[in-house]
Amino acid sequence: MGRKTKITIDYLKCGDGVGLDPRECSKCLRICEPAIFLLHETLGVEEKNPYDPQIWRVTPLYPSLCTRCLKCVEVCPVEAINVTW
Amino acid sequence: MCDHCLKHGTAGKWYFNARNYSNEIAEEYNLREFLMEQYLNFEQIPVRTINGFNAVGLGYKMQMPIIGRVVKYFAEKMVLSTKPPTNPFKAEGHFGQVVPLDDAIAILEHCAAEPIIQKYCMCRYMSRGDKDACCINFGVMSEIIEKLPRFIPVDEKFQLTREEAIERFKEHNKKGYIGTIWYGPYPYINNLCSCKNPECAGIRPRLDFGITSIFKAEYVVDVERDLCTGCQKCISKCQFNALKFDPALRRVVVNQENCYGCGVCLHECKFDALRIHPRNEYPTLAGKY
Repeated sequence: MGRKTKITIDYLKCGDGVGLDPRECSKCLRICEPAIFLLHETLGVEEKNPYDPQIWRVTPLYPSLCTRCLKCVEVCPVEAINVTW
Repeated sequence: MCDHCLKHGTAGKWYFNARNYSNEIAEEYNLREFLMEQYLNFEQIPVRTINGFNAVGLGYKMQMPIIGRVVKYFAEKMVLSTKPPTNPFKAEGHFGQVVPLDDAIAILEHCAAEPIIQKYCMCRYMSRGDKDACCINFGVMSEIIEKLPRFIPVDEKFQLTREEAIERFKEHNKKGYIGTIWYGPYPYINNLCSCKNPECAGIRPRLDFGITSIFKAEYVVDVERDLCTGCQKCISKCQFNALKFDPALRRVVVNQENCYGCGVCLHECKFDALRIHPRNEYPTLAGKY
């Protein structure tokens, strides 16, 4: 099995209403074959309209399924993704 | 789901019991507020920590020696729960079953409660950022989705008649999307999805992590030996690794242990060689859902 894959996303560059909006970009989500990323509303933020949340981020949800192809790192326009093992 | 159908299926399959679709059931369990709360924050559910646990890094958690088994036990207990739901941030009692095209048509014709809508699939949205209107909802659920703009299709119709819903479902099924019917939560049925692995958040736990979140259909696929020409077109449609080309026999063989009975491969066969049969006709498969 070897070592665990660790995927980190820099939330200053992507998501949380600060950096790039992941809903517009979503390149990492689309390129990942096993679809390990999750697009979701950031936890614990006050939304102006809770029925239509605007602050989103991407979380690497299932790193165990990662094939270490590093396509997400290549495709990210703001270089926010880092994969190590 | 044998015992389950005996209990909930008025002498048939559980999803053909119209009572499970009725608004009375939703009222009885106070599901209006519960579902509203759940779907307001639907995409957050996997990252929320509940009882000290969340689904981030689930695969690695499941690989740990004893903890993995504990996780599986509690995850299945939660998903297959038949108690009244308490926490809208848990997928309590949210389990389903694969349905082939004919059963789905029967559901839409006779059982589904009005109003029927189609919405953007949230599983696709959260795993791919993709907006694809391939989920069909009924009854109380339709009224809830109406208030949440991110799920409402932009260029397509939102409210559907029964005939339109059947047409939509057929389209998806031909594309190769697996039909699934869901309790959400038990005992209220409100979702008829057409989805795909690995995007579907319901199929995925079972295929990737062995957590029983969805049951195989009441059917399995079998090949008519003499009709199969070995063109192999069906193989690419199977998402469960159940179809294989046997070079010695020069035809396709079905691994029925793997077959979920979704029947999407049937659309691909021009020679009518693939057929769908009730699971209980096969002694080795009966009761294995």
